Order: sequence, then structure tokens, then C-alpha cells
Amino acid sequence: MRAASAKLSDLNILVAGQGGDGSLTVITLLGRLLAHRGLHLFTSRNVASRIKGGHAAAMLRAGIERRGCLGDQLDVLVAFDAQAVEIAGHQLCAQGVVIFDGSSGPVPRQHLPEGAQVLEVPFGRFAVRDLRRDLFKNSFSFGLLTRVLGLPDKEAVACLEERFGKNRKMVDANLLALNMGFKFAEEFDCPERHGFWQLDRAKRQERILVSGNEAMAFGFLVSGGLFFAGYPITPATDIMDWLAPRLPQFGGVVLQVEDELAAINMAIGAAMTGVRAMTASSGPGMALMQEGISHLGSAEIPLVIVDCQRAGPSTGMPTKPEQGDIAMLAHGGTGDYPRIVLAPGNPDDCFELAVTANNLSQRLQCLVILALDQSVAQDLATTEPFDLDGIKIDKGKRLNAGEVAALEEYRRYLFTEDGVSPWAPPGTPGGMNLITGNERNEFGQVSTAPGNRKKMVDKRARKIGKALDLLPPARRWGDAKSKVGLLGVGMAAGVMAEAARRLAGRGCAVACLQPRTLWPVLDETVDFVREHDRVYVIEHNAEGQLARLLAGAGAPFEKMRHLRRYDGTPFRPSGLYRAVLDGEGAQ
Amino acid sequence: MTKIYIPSEPIWCAGCGHFGVEAALRQALVNLDVDAHKVAILAGIGCSGTIQNNIGTYGYHALHGRVLSAATGMAIANPDLLVIAAGGDGDGYAIGMGHLVHSFKRNPGLVYIVMNNGTYGLTKGQNSPATDPEGGGQPLDAALLGLAVPGTTFIARGFSGWPDHLEKLMVLALTHAREKRGFAFLEVMSPCVTYNDTYPAWSAALCNLDDDDDHNPSDRMGVVSRCTGLRAEGRIPAGLLYSAPGRALETTLKVSAANAPVHLDIEPARLIAEYRQLLEQMMV
Repeated sequence: MRAASAKLSDLNILVAGQGGDGSLTVITLLGRLLAHRGLHLFTSRNVASRIKGGHAAAMLRAGIERRGCLGDQLDVLVAFDAQAVEIAGHQLCAQGVVIFDGSSGPVPRQHLPEGAQVLEVPFGRFAVRDLRRDLFKNSFSFGLLTRVLGLPDKEAVACLEERFGKNRKMVDANLLALNMGFKFAEEFDCPERHGFWQLDRAKRQERILVSGNEAMAFGFLVSGGLFFAGYPITPATDIMDWLAPRLPQFGGVVLQVEDELAAINMAIGAAMTGVRAMTASSGPGMALMQEGISHLGSAEIPLVIVDCQRAGPSTGMPTKPEQGDIAMLAHGGTGDYPRIVLAPGNPDDCFELAVTANNLSQRLQCLVILALDQSVAQDLATTEPFDLDGIKIDKGKRLNAGEVAALEEYRRYLFTEDGVSPWAPPGTPGGMNLITGNERNEFGQVSTAPGNRKKMVDKRARKIGKALDLLPPARRWGDAKSKVGLLGVGMAAGVMAEAARRLAGRGCAVACLQPRTLWPVLDETVDFVREHDRVYVIEHNAEGQLARLLAGAGAPFEKMRHLRRYDGTPFRPSGLYRAVLDGEGAQ
Repeated sequence: MTKIYIPSEPIWCAGCGHFGVEAALRQALVNLDVDAHKVAILAGIGCSGTIQNNIGTYGYHALHGRVLSAATGMAIANPDLLVIAAGGDGDGYAIGMGHLVHSFKRNPGLVYIVMNNGTYGLTKGQNSPATDPEGGGQPLDAALLGLAVPGTTFIARGFSGWPDHLEKLMVLALTHAREKRGFAFLEVMSPCVTYNDTYPAWSAALCNLDDDDDHNPSDRMGVVSRCTGLRAEGRIPAGLLYSAPGRALETTLKVSAANAPVHLDIEPARLIAEYRQLLEQMMV
């Protein structure tokens, strides 16, 4: 038996191979097992834009503490082929373990750190020979993996039974594979509960494991969302897929339509009746929706629109994250119109801000955009079950028949102090009115009179100006007294949090701000830049769209330092930590 | 009585075919005794895209080419409404053509009136897909197109110059939608006296199949054959061209007037047990 194994409270593992190899299955199985042991999870996928094949990787971070991003280095790499080692080997920590499927040749050692320990087993070959199916290599490798991590066999068995529970034949075949994994573990001097590490555990908590897309779709549903129209596009399709079987249970409708133009305009049609509606897309689809977006702003129709940003420009890299739509979301479309852009940074934000967006759009009769990025949209994280008791429904200035009847006169676009006009949707007796994206008078009749025009533009702008208090505030952490700030949104938030802690450990305490309202830029965001000597603006695009947005709102550009990444992968904590240390060293 | 907007005077040129369309629509709504608040007229962009301002119902001015998408969303969200989409041939057959094909396929319970004048009038006379071009080419026939889509349930073609006939077609179309049989496509040959005065040409070319005892609107193959033949002779088939029993999209989606999304109580307290079950599915 090997010497006593080291303790580990923050595990980073990557399973990779060709798409269809089942890397995700292994991560899902392990995630369940570790969640049952009270650990927090963060998982991410890295796939090619094709149905099967191409390099595919699934990553899992599990630990006592809750983390909002992947770690810097891998403790374990499960590689179903040599390419997986070539691509991910360099991420392995010095003493890391590689579980390698040697079916098609030896492990390419030159891509691994010197101290790496390689457990080479021809999983695929044995799975085919003994179980007649290549796919059983998942459970096979899972058996070896759980042993390496020092986990009890019975927990691995329970995990498989839970996963394949309905199909006894599948359970039995997978258990055979699992046991083959255990057997090989013995050969690698890895008896039960004596792995390469002793993984920390905690009391099992009641937690959910959820992606940003799922959390957001759920938030839309519980805040009364009943209509969704969409067109498939990575990485936003999950939202439609999640809602499709669920919304109808509540009397709602999900429609997959012919294009993004139909999606937004169908949602507009539903929204005009007073039904809470949403559509979702990604960069190219959002570009197609721009005309509808300006129209919503002009015609004063409430709608929630989700943009799961992926790497652009154009079709760009569909499965990779970026924050390259910020400028389009804040400034796209024609003319001046009110809009709100919210930026969630994790599943909790996604849920909370979806509810907020639904209510705000109704209250202000305007569009609210939820700006996610592929990482926030599709990475999964554990969190506490969402608070359902706190959900409130804001109906805004909706009029029913009685309220209309009590009025002497009804004007759909009535000038009001807060810019929001009373709203009688089609079907309301006595409230007949005209809705248009053309400039119009208070009755909704087309008008180009200069005086009316100016008043209408001002009225629409007032809706946001008078509602700033309702917009979601930023999250803050770190040392509020520090002269150095970090500022980032979306997928930058989790990385920023971790980097800040490490910086504090090195005597370089920083204050962090994660604005959750991107547009309008709130005073708190501008003040944050003003109040610090230097603010590192962390963003995932090349041109600094976030920094420019802040500068445009009055944040002093000269105080900003720019940390930008646009290679299709998010920052990692160590990268950010070093970049800030370097920056501070240069001060 | 709460005072509301006063319907606008039409913006159309004297003699415009659209006057006939508006008159037929008004009369059909009176004939069917529909309450004004239960009618939503959604119109596209162009001269035709102002009809919603003139009648006194709920009105919506859509984006160019998108009137069918908005109308479909509205018909599903509130099937109590009589949803009438209207627009021109440029709006419907050029920029909006994709949605027309998919509306035939989906069969939402609404009426779509295309005022076909074979030109872009508002932008001063450019050719449209329905223009009969000099020197070759063929105008697009949306009725024949609709006949090629399996989901189609109602196709009719009228003429502004035949007011009584048009009113009858209008009533049939509105009834088709109201009875939740689906998408009622009514094209009205509605000449633009300023840029494409086709009154004489169309009066001569139109062939009213409603007067033809051999015409059977439920026989799709026969209708396709007849319409294709007439077109080959330079004639324009008119009348109730095709009518089939159908089930509106909203019915297929299990949305009815009684349980329409617009009438549902969305207070979370009422549904919290069901919401908790969804949360339960996320537990790990």
C-alpha cells in the first residue's frame, strides 16, 4: 500500500475524449456522488460545435467551499484518447493523476508534468471484449476514478444504480464495468478507501445543481411567464428545451418558430395581450432581433429577452463564451428608447434577475434584456434551493374593464409624471386603442408634430429615469477600504471573487464590484471607479466594450486598467491574480 | 362611456382599392355582430398598413413583414380575440414571405387580408413580387403557394371592384377564424390608382369561381389544377378557392378561451406546490 494519502478539499477533474465518448456521464456520476458527500460543485463543458465527435471535455470542481469558476490546475485527468492528454495535460498539477485509456496506444508523456502518475488501462478494448460495448468504458473508468479518489465502492455502486435504475439490464452491465474498474484499481495499489487523496467531506446539504439557463427559465416561469417563442441557437437553446415540457403544465405555450424575427414578433404579439412573454437567443439571433427590440422600446410593449453571449463576431465560435454583445445590447437598434440590460453572474443571479426582469418589464412597459454569457448560461453549480416564498408579481399600470369605465377618457400613451401610461390590453371592454412603433400622439395615432415628438421621447426616457431604484444593485466583496478595485460582470464574477481572496492573502487586498445592471449604468458603478485609485475592468472581449460603457456614463477612463480575454475561454483565478499582481507591481 | 380615440380618415388616394377592403371588413364585422373590444386589427407597413386606425377596434401597427408573427402570438395568448392581420403584397410576399408559408403550415386561428396592388405604393411605385412585369417573369400567386402547403385550410381571393362578393368572402374568412378552424387567407386584388392602375386589366382577367358549378373548394387537386390552368391563360382565379375542415393552432396547443394564458392567475402562492416540484427535480 502507498504512503498515507494527502488531504484534498478542492478537487479539479477533467474528463475528455471524443464527443460521444461519455465524458459528461462520468462527470455527472461523480458530481452526484460528491454532492451526496456535502461538497459544492461547479461543472463546465467544452465541446465542439457538432453532434458527435470532436474533442469534448467535461470539467468538475468539487470542494467544501462554494466556487464560481473552475480552478487553475487539474488534480485528475481522465483521458479517453491521446488528444485529450495533448490538449489538457499541461493543466495537470505536479502530482496529478492521469487515468488513460490505452486502447489505441501509449500515453503521450511529453504533454504531462514530470511528477504526474499515469494509470493506463485499455478501457475501450476491455469494454468491447468483455461487455460488447465501447460505451461501458465510462462506468469502467468511473470505478477506477472513485478508487483513486478514495471513495467507498458502495457509493459508486449506488450512484450507478440511481442513474440507470429503471433498466435492470443496463444497471447490471454497468456494474460489471464498474467492478472491472475496481479490479484494476487493486492492480494500481489502490484498495477501497485508500486512494491517492483523502477527499474532504461535509454534512450533506439540501442543494440544487443548476445551470444559469435553467435557473433563468425557472425564474421566468415562477414569476408568471406563460409564453415563449424561440429559434434554436447555441448556447440559448437550453432555455427553450427546459421550458418546452414544463410551461404547458401551467397553461403556458412554448413555440419553436421559423426564425428569430418570428420569435421576437410572436412574443410581441403575445405580450400585447398582457401575457408575460420571453424570447432567447445568442449574438447572431440577437442581431436579427434588433428591429423588434427598438420596436418594443417605441411601442412600449413589455418583453424579456435573453442573450446568451457566445464568441463573435458573426457566427464566431458558437460553443465558446464571450462578452462581445455588450455594446449591441446597450446601444443597438434604431433611435432613442428606454431599455434595461441586466447581467447575472451565476445561477442565483439568473433566477433572481429573471423574476426582476419579468416584473420590471410589466411595470415599465419596456424590454428587459438578460445578458448572460455561455459560461453563466451553461455551467452548472450547486446552490441553496431558490426562495419561492419571496416571489412577487408586479402588474404595473394594467387596467381592467371597471377601471377603464371609471375613466372619462382613455389614452394608451398618456403623458404621465413617471412616463408609464395606463395600459388596457386588447380584449378589455371600452379600452380600444392603437399601438404602434411609429411616433404617435397620446391616442396612438401617427404624429410627426415636433412638440408631440419631443414630449414622447422624453416620456419614454422618463420611465427608466424614474425607476433607477428598482434596478438590481451590484454585488460587492473584498476590502471596501482598498484603493484598488476589480470590476467585472457575468462569468468574470466567480473568478474575480477567488482572485481577490488570493490577492488578499498576498497582502494586496482589493475591492470587487459585480454590476448586475449593465444598462443604464448605475451611479454606484461610476462611483466605484471614481472612488478607487485604479480599477481593473475584467471583460471577455477584445475592444473593451464594458470599459467604454462605463466611461460613456462618466467613469474616469484614466483610472481603469484593462484585463481582457477573447480566446474563447474564461479567465482562471491564477491568471487574474497574476495579472493584477503584475499591474500593482508596476505601480 | 369612456372617450377613446376617434378613428382616422383613410390616408389613401381617391379611388384606391383599399377603400373597398375597409368597407367590406366593416360590414362583415357588423354582420357577424362582433364587439369592437374583441377585435384586434394588426397591420403591416405600407398604404394598407393604416387600416387598423380607421375602424375603432384595437389596432396594432407591426414591423414591416412581421404582422403574421405578431398576430399568431396574440391569437394564442388570447383566443377570445378575433385577430385580423392585414397588409400589402410587398409586406406579405417580399419581406414577410417566410412567415406566410409558416402560417399556412401552422394554421393559427386568424384572418390574413392581403391587399394586393402589385406595387409598393407608399415608396412610390417600385415593383413587388406580385407585379406583372413587362418583359418576362411571372407575378407570384400566393393562393397557389398556399395550396402547396399541406396545413392550409382556407384560401380566398376577392376584388375591390366586387364589393358584395368581397363582403361575403370577408364573412367566410372571419367565420373560419372565429370557429377556430384556422388560418383564413384572403387576398384582395386592390388596385393602386396612382402607381399601378390595374382596374381595367384585373376586371377583365378575374374569374369568379364561386359562380362556377364545377368548382369544388374542398377538392384541393381540382383547385390547383383549375387555378394553374387559369393562370396559364392569363386569368386570375377568384372566389372561395379552397376551404377545408381544420383545427386552429391554439386548439392544438390546448389553448381555449376558457384557459387562455391571458386569463390565468399567475399569483405564485396559488402554484407554489407545483413550483416546489420543479425545484425538487434540480436537487442533487
